[in-house]
Amino acid sequence: MRKHWIVQASRAVVFCLLVIGVLPPTNGAQDRAALMKQASIIFRGTVKKKGDVSFKGVPKSDRTIVVVVEEVIQKPSAVLLSKGAQVTVDAIDAAALSAGSSFVFYTEGWIYGSGVAVREIGHEAAPVRTAELAEPMRAQLEQTRKEMSDSELRSRLDAADIVVIGQVTAVHPWNPPSLVATRPRISEHAANWQEAVIRVETALKGAPADHEVVVRFPGSWDIAWASTPKLQSGQSGTFILQKDKITGVPRAALAGRPVDAHTALKPGDVLPIGEAQRVRALLRKE
Amino acid sequence: MRTTLLLGLSLLSSLILGCPPASNVNPGSPSNPGPATTLPVVTLVDIIPESLGGETNQDSEPFLAAHSDPNVLAASAFTPNPSGASSSTAPIFISLDGGDTWTLNAIVPSAAMTCDITQAFGGTAVNLPRGTLYNGILRNPCSNGTTLRELDTPDIASSAPMAVQNSRDDVDQPFIQVVQFQNKDHIFIGNNDFGGPNGRTATLDLSTDGGSTYQPIRLEKRNTNPSNAPSIRPTVAKDGTVYVAFFGWRSFSGDATSGTATSDIVVVRDDSGGTSVPPFEALKDPSDNVAGRLVATGRTIPWANPWPNPGPLGQERIGSSLSIAVDPNDSKTLYIAWADRSGSDIYTLHLRRSVDRGQTWSGDLRTLSNATNPALAIAENGTAGFLYQQVTGSGGTARWVTHLEQTRDAFAHIKDTVLANTPANEPPMKGLPYLGDYNYLLAAQGEFRGIFSANNKPDPANFPSGMPKYQRHVDLTTRQLLDGSGNPVDVSIDPFYFRVSVLQ
Repeated sequence: MRKHWIVQASRAVVFCLLVIGVLPPTNGAQDRAALMKQASIIFRGTVKKKGDVSFKGVPKSDRTIVVVVEEVIQKPSAVLLSKGAQVTVDAIDAAALSAGSSFVFYTEGWIYGSGVAVREIGHEAAPVRTAELAEPMRAQLEQTRKEMSDSELRSRLDAADIVVIGQVTAVHPWNPPSLVATRPRISEHAANWQEAVIRVETALKGAPADHEVVVRFPGSWDIAWASTPKLQSGQSGTFILQKDKITGVPRAALAGRPVDAHTALKPGDVLPIGEAQRVRALLRKE
Repeated sequence: MRTTLLLGLSLLSSLILGCPPASNVNPGSPSNPGPATTLPVVTLVDIIPESLGGETNQDSEPFLAAHSDPNVLAASAFTPNPSGASSSTAPIFISLDGGDTWTLNAIVPSAAMTCDITQAFGGTAVNLPRGTLYNGILRNPCSNGTTLRELDTPDIASSAPMAVQNSRDDVDQPFIQVVQFQNKDHIFIGNNDFGGPNGRTATLDLSTDGGSTYQPIRLEKRNTNPSNAPSIRPTVAKDGTVYVAFFGWRSFSGDATSGTATSDIVVVRDDSGGTSVPPFEALKDPSDNVAGRLVATGRTIPWANPWPNPGPLGQERIGSSLSIAVDPNDSKTLYIAWADRSGSDIYTLHLRRSVDRGQTWSGDLRTLSNATNPALAIAENGTAGFLYQQVTGSGGTARWVTHLEQTRDAFAHIKDTVLANTPANEPPMKGLPYLGDYNYLLAAQGEFRGIFSANNKPDPANFPSGMPKYQRHVDLTTRQLLDGSGNPVDVSIDPFYFRVSVLQ
């Protein structure tokens, strides 16, 4: 229903453009931002053929259209897509996309082969004066990316129990006692838990009672864990930490004293020290 | 004509480059190539699509499924969704022309990629030109324990995500086989289920109704310590005989990063497609009259899943490498291959055969130093195929050599096809597994078809049986991978599909 609404809104944008020949109005920009947040591949192109596909291996249907790319606005770095390429679009409503018309397509990848096939998330009419749109769109894209990045970081800050600037002073293996007491679990996906001690220089959220924090993280390089942070002794950074709800052992020992144990499990949970100012600013807005 | 051309090109490249010929006798194997003397025809394809020519992923642990239409294939690997980490689906590779070209379609319901994946087409697929495909996966994220998902789709090229038929937590390494009996797809998914009682974790999930329902069957009847190993491997003959091979760990010292197991190699059998009551108790060991024939006992098996250093075998981890294959037309005959440690080897592959439904087993028919990733298959004419990857040399000159051996006489004579011979130190490991905890081989249409992962540098010296077909952009003069703009792309690990004609 929402996607249909977006297409309908895009049709309204087409009408505006045809009438006044200028950029979409503010509402269009807001729609665009919403589309940008969902799309991984964004391009401007002209519908060449309907009910067809652009390369072997893509099933042809009434929904598929072939679009000639005029400008690539956003794509994953590994994907080869450039001006002049023919893309198959699995359209939400192919009837709304007449041959010969130009649109900006907001899409996600579908099939990658000798070419690219994408699933439409939404579209809007391409501007009559393309050059005038390109820069504002790029600026909006950059702004949207920054907002998405800030929004994602802010969500993690909201969910964090403590946020600290500090330095890792020690790392050592740690086995959950439950696994030691029962049968050890020998799996290639085992986390290989490590405990790190972070000396806190500045507490940005949830000031810890001590000047040190115990952080657990998976040491494993297995595919299940390869992208999680791997802390190293001497490493400085901004650490976004949650209380340990994973291992079943919420407390740790620090110089013989029981303390809360924390975890760092996502790639963004450990940021370079240079990100501290951005983190501070986002926390201030809370 | 095509055959002649390929053979000619292969032999020509061998002469020019000083490489071994397309198919040769392994120096370590019997010198007589055996009853069949014609060279197998080899087709090799790097399955990374052209439009992903900028990727540098470590696309390890490949697997392959073949539809009843020989043109339709589905492959998988640890390949992420190109759309990024926030994607809700993981991709599979699809070929609709017998493996000559491949596309990537993100329809597996797992965030961006999986933590394990195998797949097989159903027998009823004949009515569905691009399906039914069944998958056993560990869904991502894996951080809250590994979750088995059993999936299906009627069309691998559709844009709709595969349906989740069944799901269970705390399970490892699903390994799928599908055979049609009485017009219904019977699905066999070997898995290491940590919910198994008392460490008896070797499990087979069986569906006799095309995946509508699954029943987990516990296979291990002896005590383990602490559990069975990850590899639980089923194989099914046309007459409904099902064998499953697994490691019975009897002791283990160390931990999940480094240790040593003392293990039996166990085979169980069911003569009614897994539906006997009780199931999988048809084959008992004479030593204790317990279900599960002990093919070998008390073997020392190293477990090395290190951090932060690379794995010990050409950067690869080791610890659970196993394959079994039954003759589809003669369920008395089956082969098994496993890896343990013999002598000063890092890892040693062994291959044995039974010709009496698993009751007695040969000694080693093949013993290969520092080799892993065994994959066995038996063709319609009884020819056995044995795919494996072996490290040769050491240090900076170490190589990963990928072999496909064929035999018609229980490996008394061998036709060895070297599919790849690539540097073992390049590219550097980005995670584990480096090449995979397994690869795969199957027999179809008079061919052995299989898949393995290897260094993707387009260098003829790395591919003695002939250069692979690259879909991604390459410059064969400079031996470089290129992006769409002509810029060099770093060497990485890619999945390679192959077809090799079966010895007649």
